Amino acid sequence: MPISFEPVHQASLAQTAFATANPNGGKKFEKTSPLGALFLSIPIATSMKISMISRSLDDHLPSSSSAPHPLQRNLAPHLHPFAKPREYTRALNAVKIDRMFAKPFVGALGGHQDGVYCLGKDPRRVSVVAAGGGDGEVIVHSLTLRRPLLKIPNAHRGMVGGVCWTSDARDGKRGIISCGKLDGTVKIWKSDAFAPGRRDDGSDDEEEILDLAGAVGENDYDEEDDLAMDEKARDARGKNLEPVMSYTTKTGFNSIDHHYTDSAFATGSNTVQVWDETRTAPLSTLQFGSSLESVTAVRFNKSETSVLASVGGDRSMCLYDIRTGKAERRLVMQFRSNCLSWCPTLPTVLLLGSEDHNNYTYDIRNLESPTQIYKGHVGGVMGCDWSPTGEEFVSGSYDRTIRLWSRDAGKSRDVYHTKRMQRVFDVTFTPTADYVLSASDDGNVRIWKSEASRKIGPVSTKERQSMEYRKALVDRWSSVSDIRAVKDRRHVPQSVHNATKLKREMIESRNVKEDRRRKHSRAGREKPKAERKKAVIVEQK
Amino acid sequence: MDALIAAAGPLKAGKGAPHHGRRKPLTSHKTVDRGSEKESIDPSTLSILGSTRLPHAFHDTPHASGSGTSSSTLRPDPSVSKIKDKKLRAKVARTDVATQRANRERNDVNEWLNAPLGGAAGGIEVDHEAGERTWRIGQGEIESAVGLSSRGKKFDLKFDGLGEYVVDYTRNGRHLAIASKLGHVATFDWQAGKLHSEIQLRETVRDIKFLQSESFYAVAQKKYVYIYDQDGVELHKLKQHIEPLHLEFLPYHYLLVSSGHAGYLKYHDVSTGTLLTQIPSRLGSPPSMTQNAHSGIIHLGHTNGTMTLWSPNMTTPHVKLLAHRGPVSCMAVDPSERSAGRYTVTGGMDGMVKLWDGRMWGKEVKSWHLRNRPQTLSFSGRGMLAIGGKGGVTVYNDLHSGSSADSVPAPYLNLPTPSLTAHSAKFCPFDDILAVGHSRGISSLLVPGSGEPNFDSGELDVFESRTRRREREVRGVLDKIRPELITLDTEFLGKVGDQDRGTYEERQGKSYRQLGRMERLALAGEGGEDSDAVAVANGETVEGVSDGDGNANESTRPIKKDKERHKARGKGTGMKKYLKKKRKNVIDPALIAMRAKVAAQRQADEQKRKIASGEVKKETGALARFG
Repeated sequence: MPISFEPVHQASLAQTAFATANPNGGKKFEKTSPLGALFLSIPIATSMKISMISRSLDDHLPSSSSAPHPLQRNLAPHLHPFAKPREYTRALNAVKIDRMFAKPFVGALGGHQDGVYCLGKDPRRVSVVAAGGGDGEVIVHSLTLRRPLLKIPNAHRGMVGGVCWTSDARDGKRGIISCGKLDGTVKIWKSDAFAPGRRDDGSDDEEEILDLAGAVGENDYDEEDDLAMDEKARDARGKNLEPVMSYTTKTGFNSIDHHYTDSAFATGSNTVQVWDETRTAPLSTLQFGSSLESVTAVRFNKSETSVLASVGGDRSMCLYDIRTGKAERRLVMQFRSNCLSWCPTLPTVLLLGSEDHNNYTYDIRNLESPTQIYKGHVGGVMGCDWSPTGEEFVSGSYDRTIRLWSRDAGKSRDVYHTKRMQRVFDVTFTPTADYVLSASDDGNVRIWKSEASRKIGPVSTKERQSMEYRKALVDRWSSVSDIRAVKDRRHVPQSVHNATKLKREMIESRNVKEDRRRKHSRAGREKPKAERKKAVIVEQK
Repeated sequence: MDALIAAAGPLKAGKGAPHHGRRKPLTSHKTVDRGSEKESIDPSTLSILGSTRLPHAFHDTPHASGSGTSSSTLRPDPSVSKIKDKKLRAKVARTDVATQRANRERNDVNEWLNAPLGGAAGGIEVDHEAGERTWRIGQGEIESAVGLSSRGKKFDLKFDGLGEYVVDYTRNGRHLAIASKLGHVATFDWQAGKLHSEIQLRETVRDIKFLQSESFYAVAQKKYVYIYDQDGVELHKLKQHIEPLHLEFLPYHYLLVSSGHAGYLKYHDVSTGTLLTQIPSRLGSPPSMTQNAHSGIIHLGHTNGTMTLWSPNMTTPHVKLLAHRGPVSCMAVDPSERSAGRYTVTGGMDGMVKLWDGRMWGKEVKSWHLRNRPQTLSFSGRGMLAIGGKGGVTVYNDLHSGSSADSVPAPYLNLPTPSLTAHSAKFCPFDDILAVGHSRGISSLLVPGSGEPNFDSGELDVFESRTRRREREVRGVLDKIRPELITLDTEFLGKVGDQDRGTYEERQGKSYRQLGRMERLALAGEGGEDSDAVAVANGETVEGVSDGDGNANESTRPIKKDKERHKARGKGTGMKKYLKKKRKNVIDPALIAMRAKVAAQRQADEQKRKIASGEVKKETGALARFG
């Protein structure tokens, strides 16, 4: 029994709408809502009117075959049932997708004969990093080409203590400054191969000729002598490169940092010394009291550029001002710190990586206790660096992992490791905050993504929007246990896993012991001490 | 030190070194003159101000209703202040304020988009004072009064001798499926007048339901449930559903629910094709079934007058209430804005119609008696109720008017079907149409003002194109909600537990630190069941909860079985015990097979243990393999 329909003529709607204008009442009962649902109202009796839903196809169908389908919204909650469970499901999918795409390792930069113990990132350029090796070799790597731009094989005798980039205050050219841990020399290297300096393009406008990229092989560089192609020529050039300046003392240097704009630099040996590039003897020697203890790291403040901080083997952290030439504060902590980094956006925030496996941030206005303890490593922290936004930082540890942290959370956001990566001795964020570099014992500098699941390469608007939506979903639902379980779960090497377990047990038993001791001592005599208060022993002024 | 930092200038750059005619490097240490009325400042004190600004979302902007969402008027919920953790408190407060702001903006936007112009919402308006009543208006009058396009929506499909018809609309109201008792099944786009499929099944058909779109529909036939596609091709025979009476489809969970003659409620996941669960209702063949579209809860009406509410997660009903003094013949849940799944209406063979509030099932909100027993109930998108029975359908507009529980609401429209019984009535979503299935076919009737005029094309699009339907189907499967999330309380998910546990020391006098890891987890509510904690206390091995590093933390302590406690709490303990005992005697072949399997396994394990401990020597000869 087939069904037959009388065709419904939607097209005749316009006529009807005209016909409904009430001729005698002078009142037109016709309403449209902005959505296009039209109530047609017709007076049939004296006071009765009937209006029904009538939709015009003109409003609801695309105007042409290529036009987008017209959308209309009604945000009333009763038309969107199960809003919460659906969002939860999406959040769960989002967090799973995030973990599925988490492939943080980008590549390794080789070429070192020995372990890499220090990194020097160029604060003004993205794709160049200098690395100092255990055999005294300094290599300047290009991150985009993933190969060395220049190798300086015998920059120092013995280990390189530190390497960083100079400012161009002295002669308009920037170079590398490196120090030897054993030979007690500081050397400045300048070469077209890694930093050609400002180039005169003939115009008078100074803004045009900043030394943006300009290293060999990078865009916009005219390769005159084919260095980019010829490895032999490059090696020969590195071998024959003579330092522009050389400074010698009797003690080896553990760390070096250059002033951001001036031609001054600071070194850490058994004291902190401030140098001027033009003078062979230090300008001043900074020392708190009469302590002669090895200084392991020294860094200039990023904003208040004449403030200097150092950490030393006597479990101390010291603050200096190079204008007065005095040590201002000294902080003695429970454990020795290995590295430090000043926050680029918050001038008073100082990050220390400690031998007790933790990172600490201090506010230098109040050094009584750290503002936050960052726990997670199971080996001493050997290197740390802030991201350029100052919201996150990275730390590398002796336990062969590197961890990423956000400033306001005491647990790490992510942990990176590979089978081949050995003890990590230095880490750094690239100036774009996209990548993290790690230098390790195995003689490689590794490039990692700072967000493990971020897509490299161009991203369309739609894709970006959906990624942002997924991120917001995960943020919003991350307190729910299912989602948190997926989000926080990380695989770590067996050794780290066992060490974590062992450490947890040790700490717990220690705490239990302390509890028992407190229980059997006079009431109020032994008060529990907050974890943050335990870190600092004394603050000296 | 601080004063020094503030006061000192930078080192002078490059002593004696030539500058090569370049600019002096920029330093922040100079005071900036900010004009005559303001004092000059050191830019480093406000160093970030120049390069930052308040995000756009936080600017005060006037909205459609004129209410500017100034963040100063939004305060977080006072209960937030009870949170002790500072960072968490700040985060929760921020989220709360953002939610409030979003809700407010949503209301503003919705008001702007969807408020009817002139204030009227459609429907029939009469002069009550002059004695006019809406229920006196017949279909003919309405038909002659409305425009041509609406007039075309009223039609009758006459099929004699095929039995009573059941109707079902797709969720966007565009397509209609009809099925007769004697096996005539058809689906069509009723607006365009396009027939999709028409099949004669030549066996009893009891119910028909569209699945996620018009491309699939399920039919409850004499013996099993079958799934057909848009062209009427049989795709699946669901043999697990035996003698089905009613069908429901939960579109967000992709669950097809059937209740059969034997009283079983069966949930079938149509996205994977597996039977999720089957629950015996133990109340016989249910005369009626419906779903709550806002919570996914299934309502079953039973012959003894009870109504039960089910989810696939519990083998017992969430709610069981005695609604009528006779079989519950029909039920409907109000999906409209005011109710959002809160109000339920039941109709019984005793001729009563009762309105229930889901927040308090104790007593009906309203009940009234009908001369003709209600056979079918349906709610429209605007909350109108159609009650079908012998002689036609009556539509009620405002059920909640009238204060007393016994006051009979005045009907809105009478839609008589002379000498016919309305077997199945359904309002068309997003349109002012009521489809009635009866023994001589179906009738599509005009009910002005019943439908929701403003649809959301992101959710359900009346004018859905093929590509958009495909997109929606893929997204729908991606966002499929797990059946475990079907709960009576729809706001349950993501809520923070508010009971105060107190510190452990307060309750036990034992230091938190002295607890094992599992005990701590159990205490924090992360270790799952309390039984785990009990098991730990008894030295039993518990499946290791994976820690942050992902490896399960396994303990190797000896296993000691705790004796099962027979202490049951709550009412009717004796009855439960009695029933449990009674169940033991039921001879079930599946159970016997399972028991035999378990026994064999246990024996094998015992043997293995004996061999390991050396009590029994393992046969190693050539015949050992034969046992």
